[in-house]
Amino acid sequence: MTLPAESTSKRADESVQGVSELAGKYLTFSLANEEYGVGILKVREIIGVMEITAVPHTPPHIKGVINLRGRVIPVMDLRLKFGMPAKGYDERTCVIVVEVQGRSSAVQVGMVVDSVSEVVNIAGSEIEPPPSMGASTESDNILGMAKVKGEVKILLDVDRVVGEGLLRQFEEM
Amino acid sequence: MPQDEHAVAKILDDMAVKILMVEPGDLSVVGELLAAAEDLLATRDEVANLPVLHAMAHAFKSALERMIMGELPDSAENYELLGKAITQIQEAVRKGADMDEAGVEAFARHLSDAGYLVSAAELLGDPGQVGPKEEEQAAAAAPSGDDASASPPPEEEAEPATAPAAPEPAATGSGGVPDFLQDKELLGGFIDEAFEHLESIEVNVLELEQNPGDLDIINNIFRPFHTIKGVSGFLNLRTINKLAHATENLLDDVRNGKREMDSDVIDLVLTVGDTLRSMVENIKDVLENGPDRYQDLDISAQVAHILALQEGKSPADSAPEAAVIDEGAAAPEDQAAPETTAPGMEPADSFTALPRAGQPSNSEGPAPAAANGQAAPRKKMGAFIKVDVEKLDALVNAVGELVIMQSLVRQNPLVSKIADPKLIKDFSQLSRITSDLQHTAMSMRMVPIKQTFDKMIRLVRDLSKKSGKEVNLVMEGADTEIDRNMVDSIYDPLVHMMRNSVDHGIQPPDERVKHGKSPTGTVSLRAYQKGGNMVIEIEDDGEGLNTIKIKKKAESRGLIQSGDNLSDHELNNLIFMPGFSTADQITDVSGRGVGMDVVKKAVEKLRGKVEVQSQSGKGSLFTIRLPLTLAIIDGIIVRVGSERYIIPTTAIQESMKPERKNYNTVHGRGESLLVRGELLPVIRLYQLFGVEDPTHNDPCEAIVVVVENEGRRRALMVDELLGKEEVVIKNLGGMSDVRGVAGGTILGDGRVGLILDLAGVIASAAEES
Repeated sequence: MTLPAESTSKRADESVQGVSELAGKYLTFSLANEEYGVGILKVREIIGVMEITAVPHTPPHIKGVINLRGRVIPVMDLRLKFGMPAKGYDERTCVIVVEVQGRSSAVQVGMVVDSVSEVVNIAGSEIEPPPSMGASTESDNILGMAKVKGEVKILLDVDRVVGEGLLRQFEEM
Repeated sequence: MPQDEHAVAKILDDMAVKILMVEPGDLSVVGELLAAAEDLLATRDEVANLPVLHAMAHAFKSALERMIMGELPDSAENYELLGKAITQIQEAVRKGADMDEAGVEAFARHLSDAGYLVSAAELLGDPGQVGPKEEEQAAAAAPSGDDASASPPPEEEAEPATAPAAPEPAATGSGGVPDFLQDKELLGGFIDEAFEHLESIEVNVLELEQNPGDLDIINNIFRPFHTIKGVSGFLNLRTINKLAHATENLLDDVRNGKREMDSDVIDLVLTVGDTLRSMVENIKDVLENGPDRYQDLDISAQVAHILALQEGKSPADSAPEAAVIDEGAAAPEDQAAPETTAPGMEPADSFTALPRAGQPSNSEGPAPAAANGQAAPRKKMGAFIKVDVEKLDALVNAVGELVIMQSLVRQNPLVSKIADPKLIKDFSQLSRITSDLQHTAMSMRMVPIKQTFDKMIRLVRDLSKKSGKEVNLVMEGADTEIDRNMVDSIYDPLVHMMRNSVDHGIQPPDERVKHGKSPTGTVSLRAYQKGGNMVIEIEDDGEGLNTIKIKKKAESRGLIQSGDNLSDHELNNLIFMPGFSTADQITDVSGRGVGMDVVKKAVEKLRGKVEVQSQSGKGSLFTIRLPLTLAIIDGIIVRVGSERYIIPTTAIQESMKPERKNYNTVHGRGESLLVRGELLPVIRLYQLFGVEDPTHNDPCEAIVVVVENEGRRRALMVDELLGKEEVVIKNLGGMSDVRGVAGGTILGDGRVGLILDLAGVIASAAEES
């Protein structure tokens, strides 16, 4: 009877192994009543929403470009990206500026979220692999699910979210 | 022999300076030091009278060589010790006598501290020691004129006191796959250096063609060969070493007036340069892709050719060969007269002290000038530092931001209400400073166009040789500055146009004479700044364009109608049309129009314009107008609904409020506007870009801007013209390929405005209709 027990614990070890490298500090934010997290090392800064210049011939979730202290950076609306209903921007709306690897160099991209919550330290043991939900590409955007203080936070793979939502878009064009 | 003494002192001073500047791992400087040490040994008459000094110089050179071979640590401390050793030699020379024992001991101590064991006794010439014997050998070898820098055989390295200076230059065999891969870092450094040297050789050779007999230029050619030879020797690049050495010997003869720098030598130097370049490229390949890429070129034919040239045509009237070198010290006596032979082993890079005697070539005119004004003609070089382009861009960005922030603060309603004269004065002071700063930051990205122009010299030379035409290239304004980012992009169009001018513009000599022109054609390449533009002109005095043929061709191609009333100027500029450039037309249209649309496209990509003026039989003048920098664009800001766009001014022809009678809609064919007799398709920008709140839906209420791109004209419909502004172009982060948008910019209110890419706008409008 020891065998199954061993294999179970082994599998548990593996899953811990698989996600423990995700342990670290995350910036959490809310989006349509759900809490999300992005790795703090990806985040460059958080700014209030400002006037966005629309860019033609782009998908709806690309809101346009903003002037980030002299740099022009694209901004995407995460609600629209994830197919959630749009919501008017208010004083709690924030733009999280993240840095991802572009085709040739690192690019900064703004992500519009409902509101920014806090920075939390998430241990490896609190993270579970993403639930498999069929072949949905949306679950590819998720690194894992973290349970912190009884709340579930969805940890986003920023490179993928931004990459799919922005960069790849233009590679195809 | 005061002259020679000066030479020695000069070399020592040079060495002392170099050793101060050298940094660990800086191979080229060590190479120069070694060359200087060789030069020192070569001033035989002087040094030979002072055997101890000679021994010291020798020991110094050996220590240096061992350092390069990596046997002694290549560290800052060691360089300092070597520097002290030089100081000892300097002192000895200054005293004009041979070294006293105390000095020698100090010298020996310095070298020993650096890891090169040598005793004062050896240097003082204690019989029975190894050192002096070696020196005698070297001393005996020196008069033969061979520079002793070939790679020292490995056996010698083992013995500390041995001077690995036995000259065996050309003899060094080129054995199989080489042992030069030992120090990849040094090798990498050598490759970069070598390319630079080869480039400077080429430039100088071509310059020499213009100023034959200019000793300064000959020295400028000689020196890089010398360095390449030296460094390749240490690195065991034997083939390169051998070829460079043979060429150096030949050039040395030229330098010493034993041989004229005629076209044979020039051709040879150019081919050797090419061969060396391909060999260095091969080494680079080896370094990147492994030793199996190594190719040992057979250079024996070239070396034989060099030797033949060297022996073949020594001017009979010059002093016997041996005499020239041996009597190097005799030069000072004749120094006043312009017609002397140069001192044999004069240091390669004596910048000031020694008056160089000019060798009279064909005319006596230039020789005295070269002899008397050695310092003056040398171009003044400022000090430069290399800066990462990204840092520069960051600076330019930050400055741009500063300018915007400043105007935001000034326009703040609260601030603008303040009527304090001091504040107003301070503000104007502030904006003066920021605009100065902006100007400086922008100018940092500018480089002279000389580099690009210099490449044309070789091109024209090769082309004219190949086609048997005599072409004189005149360049002006090579110092004109151009945006660093444009340098590469402008090269290809320039090559294209130069080739056209030489190949098809300039006629062969006999034909030129028939037309009453001088047999030598002239191609002028000019650059200057005019009204915020950089202008490049290429003018030839050749055939000119055949306007009648162009007209016929254009009609047959359907580019114009036979009834069209076009001026000659307009007709000539049809050669830039895309349909005008297939190979069979080269002969049809008097050889012009080959790929001129490619030129136009490349220039337009840089937001420039190109046009041609030509007179049949007299020649053609091509004018390229480029913006001074790619970072700034001169544009008209237009408003469409709540969005603002910037249209590049270069593309705008006019703007107007159209009259209803000129506006037509053709069912199924879109709408068009009659402008100056031409029907232009109308592009509704708000429709194309999906702007939801345009002020006007009726083109006759709105404003249309007539734009042109690659020969296509369109009427862009916008709501309002807001003004003309110079804006800094920025890319849109990760979104680089948005159709119809060339980039963004920060407008005066801090918001982003999009800059239109008209090619994209026109194309996507065509797709949608």
